Amino acid sequence: MSRFLRIPLAIPLLVTLLIGAFPGEAGAQANTRIKYALGDVISVDELPLLVAVERAKKRGVEVEVTAFKSEEVATQAVINGQADIGQGTPYAAIQKVNVPIRFFYQMSALQFFPIVNIEHYKSWKDLDGQEIVVHTRGSGTEAIMRLMAKEHKINYKSVSFVPGSNVRALGLLKGTIKASILDATNKNYVMKEAPGKFAILPLGQVKASDEALFATQAFLDKNQAAVAIFVEELVKVNREINKNPKSIVEERKKLGLLKDLPAKLEAEILPFFEEAAKGGIFPNDGGGESAAKNDLEFFQLSGALKGENLKVGDFWNFAPLKAALAKVK
Amino acid sequence: MRHPAPPLAALRCRSRRTPAEHESVKPRRLVASHVAWQLISFAFFFGVWEIAGRWPVSAAFPPFSQTLLALVAMIADGSLAKAYVSTLQPLLIGIVLCGIAGVGFGIGMGLSRTVEWLTLPVFIILQAAPMAAMIPLITYLYGIGLTSKVLAVVFLAAPVIVMNSYKGIRNTNPSLVQMCRAFLGTRRQEVVKIILPYAAALIFAGLRLGLAMGFIGIVIAELLITPTGIGDLITYHSSVAEYPSMFAAITSIIAVAALTLYGLERLERALFPPEIRGS
Repeated sequence: MSRFLRIPLAIPLLVTLLIGAFPGEAGAQANTRIKYALGDVISVDELPLLVAVERAKKRGVEVEVTAFKSEEVATQAVINGQADIGQGTPYAAIQKVNVPIRFFYQMSALQFFPIVNIEHYKSWKDLDGQEIVVHTRGSGTEAIMRLMAKEHKINYKSVSFVPGSNVRALGLLKGTIKASILDATNKNYVMKEAPGKFAILPLGQVKASDEALFATQAFLDKNQAAVAIFVEELVKVNREINKNPKSIVEERKKLGLLKDLPAKLEAEILPFFEEAAKGGIFPNDGGGESAAKNDLEFFQLSGALKGENLKVGDFWNFAPLKAALAKVK
Repeated sequence: MRHPAPPLAALRCRSRRTPAEHESVKPRRLVASHVAWQLISFAFFFGVWEIAGRWPVSAAFPPFSQTLLALVAMIADGSLAKAYVSTLQPLLIGIVLCGIAGVGFGIGMGLSRTVEWLTLPVFIILQAAPMAAMIPLITYLYGIGLTSKVLAVVFLAAPVIVMNSYKGIRNTNPSLVQMCRAFLGTRRQEVVKIILPYAAALIFAGLRLGLAMGFIGIVIAELLITPTGIGDLITYHSSVAEYPSMFAAITSIIAVAALTLYGLERLERALFPPEIRGS
């Protein structure tokens, strides 16, 4: 075969071989060992999950948590069958991808804090015609800031994107960012590092999921008992935290979770859960239909969900939650 | 035993074309065949892609036709052009900086043992350093702005440009240098008239390969530092699950990089004879 023939043919053949060598694992079988895809670093805010995982293990349901770089990667892991349960709010993917995936449990509600440098701004009105910085395009942080702009009848000059609350927190402290939105941990860090330099702007009632659990319909159908046990344990942990935030600190010590946590972060555990309990971040009832309806409204506004008359049933499966709640009454 | 040459008339009978016509037709046929095979290759690749998307390999993997439509839509609404304006800015700044400083360093290293001793290890280490691991270091030192992205391009492109320039200088044909000395040429004449022209092809090849690394650097920076330009298109469309648009953005940057480098390679072939190019 001539050289001219060999080179062009080699590329597509190689690609074909590569595609054939890695077939999708959509048909992967699941059992009581649940592969859990977390699109974040395991840290303080994941303690309720870690406690529930330990307790579910004692009841014969082994949940194997893998931390991925981002929510998108965790979502792809579930779509392609490499993980059974994912954590996040991939409403857009569920709407667009032709795989029946359903949310079944709300882990936490959105808890973000619009923060401004008081040398420059003091209120929402001051942000009219100014630059703000949010997480990424199409993210919940952008949706919240745009929602507030609409509510206060202001227009931002521009919206810049800096992924990671910790990165935006550093930007605020360095003075390169003057107005942004942070999660609870980083808001506390910024307020502690530079007392009196920043102000938190009031946020109206933004009710949407920050983290929710999702899985394929097939997995939920096949593993009803195991999923119900896991959800039951998650609900129990949330109820304990809401009743007494100190319980999570005690449970962490008892179970030996996050042993390598630096002392600085260890000191932030209790304030974080106290604030979360006060703000109703961890639902006592796993979110349910009200969470689902709020999410559809919020993610439609953010632009993640398209179309009118969206149906809760196309996104959520309430059976596992109902089964779990029936046992924890 | 030598055969008598056939008369010209007999040759004309065997072929309707003159030898000169033969010379011009043969390459044209080869080129046409080459282009045809390339087109068949692309058609086969896109066909496989279409089948893989419809099969599907993954629920998030779009067929080629949907990706093409998304690409056309992104060109039509101007989002792709806007993204490229943003992406090319740090890329061009980085490449120009490397072109000036990198080639300068390479020539300096090639001409002076002291400069070589001082700087060669730095570029060898940089060449081996995994770029993605260095991004956090760059952001801690220079923040998340344009500087960090330019540095990501420089860190990837500079070692290739410097090393090629250095090797170009060092690989100058010693006979030519000796010839210059034999004619009592000064050191300046030796460098300007012999070494630099001889090394020009390798320096140019270094710039071309540096640009290839620059494309890698800018995409890594836009995905890992702050999502702007093409990095923003990829991240955004991935986050809202518009996979055809995400694949269209990825395909477009691959196509732009490949076509740019192909064009530069053709220019290199036109500018420098094979004996200087070393091929």
